Amino acid sequence: MKIIREIQVDHLARIEGKAGIEVNIGEEIEAKINVTEGPRFFEVITKDKKYDEAVAIFSRICSFCSIPHKLTPIEAVEHALNIVPSEQTKKLRELLYISNVIYSHALHLYLFVIPDYLGYPDAFTVAKKNGDLIKNGFLLKDFGADIQSIIGSRSIHPENAIVGGFGKIPSKIEMKKIKKMADDVVEKAIKTVEFFAEYEYPEYVNKERRHLSIKPYEEYGVYGSSIISSDNSSFDVEKYKKHLIESVVSHSFAKHGTFKGEPYMVGAISRLINNLSLLKGEAKELADKYKNFISSKNCFANNFAQAIELVYFVERAKELADELTEIKEEKKAEAGKDSGEGYAVTEAPRGLLIYYTKIENGLVKSVDIITPTAMFLPMMESDIASMAEGLWNDGYKDVDLIGKKVEMVARSYDPCISCSVHVAKL
Amino acid sequence: MKIGIHGLTSCYGCQLSMAAVKRIIDVVDSFEIKYFYMVSSDKKIEKVDVAFLEGSVCTEEDEKELKKIRENADILVAVGSCAIHGGVQGMLNSYEEAYKEVYGKEISYEGRKSRPIDKFVKVDYRLPGCPPEEEEIMYYLATFAIGSYPEEKDYPVCAECRRKGNPCILIEKGEMCLGPVTVAGCDARCPGYNVACIGCRGPVPHGIAWFDSLARTFKEKGFSKEDVKKRMEIFASQYQKLDEMLDKIYGDLNENNKGDTS
Repeated sequence: MKIIREIQVDHLARIEGKAGIEVNIGEEIEAKINVTEGPRFFEVITKDKKYDEAVAIFSRICSFCSIPHKLTPIEAVEHALNIVPSEQTKKLRELLYISNVIYSHALHLYLFVIPDYLGYPDAFTVAKKNGDLIKNGFLLKDFGADIQSIIGSRSIHPENAIVGGFGKIPSKIEMKKIKKMADDVVEKAIKTVEFFAEYEYPEYVNKERRHLSIKPYEEYGVYGSSIISSDNSSFDVEKYKKHLIESVVSHSFAKHGTFKGEPYMVGAISRLINNLSLLKGEAKELADKYKNFISSKNCFANNFAQAIELVYFVERAKELADELTEIKEEKKAEAGKDSGEGYAVTEAPRGLLIYYTKIENGLVKSVDIITPTAMFLPMMESDIASMAEGLWNDGYKDVDLIGKKVEMVARSYDPCISCSVHVAKL
Repeated sequence: MKIGIHGLTSCYGCQLSMAAVKRIIDVVDSFEIKYFYMVSSDKKIEKVDVAFLEGSVCTEEDEKELKKIRENADILVAVGSCAIHGGVQGMLNSYEEAYKEVYGKEISYEGRKSRPIDKFVKVDYRLPGCPPEEEEIMYYLATFAIGSYPEEKDYPVCAECRRKGNPCILIEKGEMCLGPVTVAGCDARCPGYNVACIGCRGPVPHGIAWFDSLARTFKEKGFSKEDVKKRMEIFASQYQKLDEMLDKIYGDLNENNKGDTS
């Protein structure tokens, strides 16, 4: 292919991790995400480690979603060793997990995405022009961070969450505090939805696409044990290797995922598309009011969906804290055996996260992790190509402009590059 | 005062901690942030007074970037366990095998074994933690801002744990808590949650502190040197004096010295 124009973003700013975008415009238009962050081989370095140490190491895969990378392997270990956590532990974990979704969505939208929408290089500059807007975001982020600290011991790499339960159970007073804080921030979350409802999606990236998400146990959210597709098919997490294919590509340290031979999308918009009927409260009202924004065809809908989820999860946090006001001291659940195989799937802020682990005599022998960013990279590349092609064919030949627009496509997915380069299969 | 905030291969948690400091919007105007690529698209590497750097060197690109950052900074601060000790990724024993196993020959990039940044350039200060504490980030920023410099802690987590009055996890519960060998600054957070220290802040500076008298408890509790080493390696596998520390705890120091002189 003769390349007429190359658009190269070596190091994409305002994302988690290090990746570049390369778009080649010729007879056809090609887009590649070059993941240049070094691989860290988490599946290899945790081999032969005690399982309680291994779960602490996994959280180091990523700081934005260190809680999903702690709670998901914990669940896989518990599945492997017949450890049954208490109802109270499950509720506390859900509260801890969704506080991370709030934290991550708020950081992503306000620190990484909103500067694009307003045409500024960063949130600090936005803060100078529109202090209240950024303050909104930081209050939402703080709400998530505070819950992560109360339950997890800190907002990044929460050591209080352990196999079987928690080291220390938070107090009744702390649960009341969370309820009160939720009342204070729900309005900030609603304002976030209203901000994004002001912007139409670029049509260049409209296309039919498949969405994969968890099938939640009961409530809309992050926990379940099977995966559903927007074509109504579903499969149990234990069968994930049959359905979700990961392959090595030459330009990236991150593997690429396909389902039924096609790229697919995961993340906030996929959760909303697949589980819309489970929404309730203020989030449901907003989703009804702005239903045109919940588009299965456009990747920019993911930012809007994250805003809707901010509202939902703030309200859900309040509900869970309310159910936990009679929280009591209890011991962690003990292992029924010391060897076994376990699977777990959860919804990290960016989408499906799968852990498989095999344990022998208390030591981790084998691990497989599939992260959302590895799942959606092929779809993201396809959208970047569509954006560049649309602009180019409409007569926009300015490389800088096309560069800025394709960066926005990448950010709409909320990629987590550190997560995507953990890879190893042993 | 001009500062730069950078990241090599890591989880980005140190940069995130710096960006998410609660008072960041209040203090950000006291500095001229010349580089903070994680949060800003409008930055180039240029001369700064202080560069903060998280992450370890895992690729050729990492090394090049590190050298460029060093050349342009009067003061270089290594932030977090990856930059200071190579991070958890430093544990990898056989890089080549793992690499081949995972990627085969289908990939055009070359990765390398994770190394801490002081293997390549001079480091002026270390801001430990995985991730660093908000208080310490503010302390480092503040001391540089007034033309002073931060003092690194040289005592173990146990000191803070005793002051807080936590029950001792090592002595009372018999769990392998790395408090005695880990540098303080976290206010003994994990022991306060009944969770044994995993050593995420890295080893306490060797030879200065009184870690060894405390750490002899490992021996008394029946933990083998190998067991302690395995746990310490999670965050300090690339620490040069790790074996020396363990020898001191397990009382093999004299024998080693004999070996040296013979």
